[in-house]
Amino acid sequence: MDTFFLVIGMGLCILVLLVLYRVVYGPGVFNRVAALSAIGNKTLIILLIMGFVYHRVEMFIDISMVYALLNFIGTIAASKYLEMEGSIL
Amino acid sequence: MIQISDDIIIKTLARVLVPFIQLYALYVIMHGHHSPGGGFQGGVILGASLVLLVITHGLKGTQKRISEKSVAIFSSLGVLIYAGIGVLCLVLLGNFLDYSKLAILLSVPLAQARSLGILGVEIGVGLAVMAVMFSIFYNIATGGKQSEEDNN
Repeated sequence: MDTFFLVIGMGLCILVLLVLYRVVYGPGVFNRVAALSAIGNKTLIILLIMGFVYHRVEMFIDISMVYALLNFIGTIAASKYLEMEGSIL
Repeated sequence: MIQISDDIIIKTLARVLVPFIQLYALYVIMHGHHSPGGGFQGGVILGASLVLLVITHGLKGTQKRISEKSVAIFSSLGVLIYAGIGVLCLVLLGNFLDYSKLAILLSVPLAQARSLGILGVEIGVGLAVMAVMFSIFYNIATGGKQSEEDNN
């Protein structure tokens, strides 16, 4: 079972790298913000999988909840900043 | 700088979510000794809840609930709790932050006195971190002008 979680986690890491391309080169701010949220979600799942691998999932749930929370607040702050700018892109 | 958003989805979501975030922050502070977290992390989550309130309800709406004066008082109070417990241990003929000396005051066993001392210190750290986080965010958001009338 550990190998299964390890493989899934490594696959998710590769997917994070793929999404990172969109963050760096993505046309426009909206693509970057959406890609950042996607990376946040994947990191959350990777944290939980690490918890399963180390057999201490009750600790990693705390960390991943904080991560989801800060990711949510960060996304709202970025969209607020776009609203303040007045113009899209 | 930060206008009040008229988006009802964001406002309602934040209003529902902020109490749960603060409850979770208290959980992180209280369970700092046997799970990840502690005073600093809990204080950061508390500060993040206030930042979410500012983003969604505007600076004026947040200042009605927690003014800048009370933020300054909270940050000083947190440092006072931390240093006060430390100095209290000094007064009771121990080292600085030597919690085991608190057992005489609290009339509890030695190990429980250590646990309670750490909890008190972490509450102080959490208060200070929350207040300073919010203060930094507030100063950045207002451009250091300190009065909200300039910004609206």
